[in-house]
Amino acid sequence: MAGPLAPTRSPETVVEEENDLDRPWVTVVWDDPVNLMTYVTFVFQELFGYDEAKATELMLQVHHEGKAIVSSGPRERMEHDTSRLHAYGLWASYQKDS
Amino acid sequence: MKPFRRKGDEYVARLDPAEAGIVGLLLDQLEQLLTGEEDDVEGDEVVARLLPEGHRGDPALAADYRELTRDSLVAGKADDLAMVRATLPAEGGALRLDADQATAWLRTTNDLRLALGTRLGISADTEPPEELASEADQQLAVYYWLTAVQGSLVDALVAGRAGRRS
Repeated sequence: MAGPLAPTRSPETVVEEENDLDRPWVTVVWDDPVNLMTYVTFVFQELFGYDEAKATELMLQVHHEGKAIVSSGPRERMEHDTSRLHAYGLWASYQKDS
Repeated sequence: MKPFRRKGDEYVARLDPAEAGIVGLLLDQLEQLLTGEEDDVEGDEVVARLLPEGHRGDPALAADYRELTRDSLVAGKADDLAMVRATLPAEGGALRLDADQATAWLRTTNDLRLALGTRLGISADTEPPEELASEADQQLAVYYWLTAVQGSLVDALVAGRAGRRS
């Protein structure tokens, strides 16, 4: 409850700090001229369980924008996702979300 | 070549003798690259594409990733390659693959395309060769042949997945 004695804190500051601590890691897939569009869509479905519409949308984003974030979460899981994509020959890397 | 199609629970195709021979040679070359001493293949553009950096821009994280994953990635690719070799009809002929074998073919044909595509400098604008005048034309023709093989296998696997759901 806000009252005259409630501490005055800037809510934005709090939110920013939380965001920085919780800022997830992401796995990014980069466009390359070899991998077939049908193959990339198939792999996204196979590895992440995305339905065909979602997998196709991500594949098209890779194709048209040069990259797409395909998963996000703790660093260890993003390392794991990156290696699963590398096993299928997709051009992937993980990074802190920006 | 008769492209892959789904037949019951299997994925079937047919390779001409010459095609089977080419796949066999490419498998040998891929195996040499994958199992070569890390120092010998360091800096090789194909190896860099098959086993890419896990993190861009942070050498410490990239080294962590390499240490964590490289051996198991190489082992997985070698297992796939061995399965493809075991199911390849050496003199050409019918290919009949179960789901696991089909996945090994899928990943290995992709690795072969990545390797050839990297060596040949394939870009989004590259077109199939109109004639086979040079060795580069022939390698490009092999690349596009592998593209057709892999493309038909992806389509057959997608059809198989739709079949499993219904």
